[in-house]
Amino acid sequence: MNTNPELIQNGQYNIGHICTRLQCDRGLSAKIAMHCLGAHGERTQWTFGDLERESSRFANVMQTLEFSMGDVFFIFLPKIPDVFSSFLGAMKAQLITGMLFSNFGGEALLDRLGDAKAKGILTRKSYLRKLLHIREKLPDLKVILLVDASEHQTEDILSLPLLMQQAETEFKTPLTSAETPSVLHYTSGSTGKPKGVLHCHRSVLLQNRTAREVLQLQTDDIFWCTADHGWVTGTSYGIIGPWSLGVTQVHFGGAYAAEEWFKILEEYGLTVWYTAPTALRMLMREDPAIFARFKLPKLRHVFSVGEPLNPEVIKWGRAVLGKDIYDTWFQTETGAIMITNRPGLPIKPGSMGKPVTGIGPAIVADDGTLLPDNKQGNLCLKPGWESMFASYYRHEEVYRQKFKHGWYMTGDTAYRDAEGYYWFMGRSDDVINTAGHLVSPFEVESALLEMEGIAESGVIGAPDELLWEKVVAFVTMKKGCEWNSDLDLKVRLHISNRVSTMATPKEFVVLESIPKNKSGKIMRRLLKARYLGTDAGDVSMLDDI
Amino acid sequence: MTTIEKLNGIFQTVFDNDEIDIRPEMTANDVDGWDSLSHVNLILAVEKGFQIRFTEKELLTFKNVGDLLRGIESKTGSGGSQPS
Repeated sequence: MNTNPELIQNGQYNIGHICTRLQCDRGLSAKIAMHCLGAHGERTQWTFGDLERESSRFANVMQTLEFSMGDVFFIFLPKIPDVFSSFLGAMKAQLITGMLFSNFGGEALLDRLGDAKAKGILTRKSYLRKLLHIREKLPDLKVILLVDASEHQTEDILSLPLLMQQAETEFKTPLTSAETPSVLHYTSGSTGKPKGVLHCHRSVLLQNRTAREVLQLQTDDIFWCTADHGWVTGTSYGIIGPWSLGVTQVHFGGAYAAEEWFKILEEYGLTVWYTAPTALRMLMREDPAIFARFKLPKLRHVFSVGEPLNPEVIKWGRAVLGKDIYDTWFQTETGAIMITNRPGLPIKPGSMGKPVTGIGPAIVADDGTLLPDNKQGNLCLKPGWESMFASYYRHEEVYRQKFKHGWYMTGDTAYRDAEGYYWFMGRSDDVINTAGHLVSPFEVESALLEMEGIAESGVIGAPDELLWEKVVAFVTMKKGCEWNSDLDLKVRLHISNRVSTMATPKEFVVLESIPKNKSGKIMRRLLKARYLGTDAGDVSMLDDI
Repeated sequence: MTTIEKLNGIFQTVFDNDEIDIRPEMTANDVDGWDSLSHVNLILAVEKGFQIRFTEKELLTFKNVGDLLRGIESKTGSGGSQPS
């Protein structure tokens, strides 16, 4: 592992320490770490000194509540300043810190908190309702902290502001080894429930290096990563990478609004912007007159992550922003950017770009044979990069299955051209990538079967102009039941509220039967071929043939 | 039941939260879970609940709850304080 002596001092790998105390020790206490813009126009500024003090307070709160190294703690909040100070405080206290999307429904929360045996969670009063519905099923959950309660609600539903008032502002971060567990992000697979991708504090090495070498962040930059902290990009590049370099960030808690976003880019003099293809495609649909009103002379680079960037978006970026948009590729499991376009490397529109220095991708056949240029196969990575995940938390066997023939199997298929550029071709499993979020067909199929009247379900991802892929659900009805607009709406709301809005099907197709193979597995490939009107290929395994 | 009361019930159902109490000036930033994807659910539920249909152009003009209320009232012919 290549260490960085400026970053790792005296063997201290602690992410919370590096992003706060170390920056203060470098003389950046008074430097603005974050401009936090609220959904209703509230604006606050946090210096690195503020982050250091408040994260230390939070670490002390957690110690007072008898949390210790390795305990699992979740943050379930929209983008507000408490997310950042509590995350860094939890890192300092060496807690395994799970980050959740604030639009998760009760079932999605239960799956994640239950699987991880979470001991605590930080949230706010309006989200408490969702937690109280599932609380009885979470015997390990000892405490719920509320960011917006001025008084403790019960013995175990506590006011964070009150606890913070009573906490010391100094915290001596324990010496934290490279292999100490840190961040936990749940991700969807094609089978079973979502799995918790567990990272270690060593990830900071590559998050720091890619923030420098790929995003090309420099000391005086003003950086905006629009990703939610429930997503790996939101922690790797919305928190760890930039703050480990002492770079000022903008965080915006409001929803997408083209004019508001461009106002932020202009007013704060953003120099580097990291966003997502879906957001860029939404911007492309706006009246170009909006953009003409804003001047962005300081904007140096624009990056994108989540799904492949269509050539049209790159063209739009050149026309409207006067900039190339660099597509980056990584996964929750990789923790940091692996293959990427970047300034200085000519863009081949639609390509993933080339590997980050030191990262060893390869295109590998199912039998482990290395494939030559221009041959499509499994996109694999040579294990051992600094931010490689340490495990699927409490699912070691599934973790082991991700490594075959000495390679980490990403689950993506791709090819490499003769000039060394990689080209994404698709997933080798059934996982759906909708607006950059991975959705498990299994989760949606299970939620559909909870609806009265639905006998069977099969879920696929189909191409979509805005979302990259949309969720399409096939259902069969029980005898005497029929699909109608009432049920359509009920099903949408059920999935939105139980799983998440991202998982909600955009289309429903009613069938007489769902194709299954002889062992009862849903043949999603056939559903997809049927939807797209393409050749279904080999159907010899079908149950009813 | 007034239009806003009926609309409030729809919000409570769509966002699975019986504590929601809508006001005309409220936007997506004021309701937990009101994002671009759940907005589709909301519009479908409003159209079903009020037996109306919005055009794409009309949908683009809805910036807050008040706009949505006015859109509903223009279709149903009801006023904010009138029973719907």
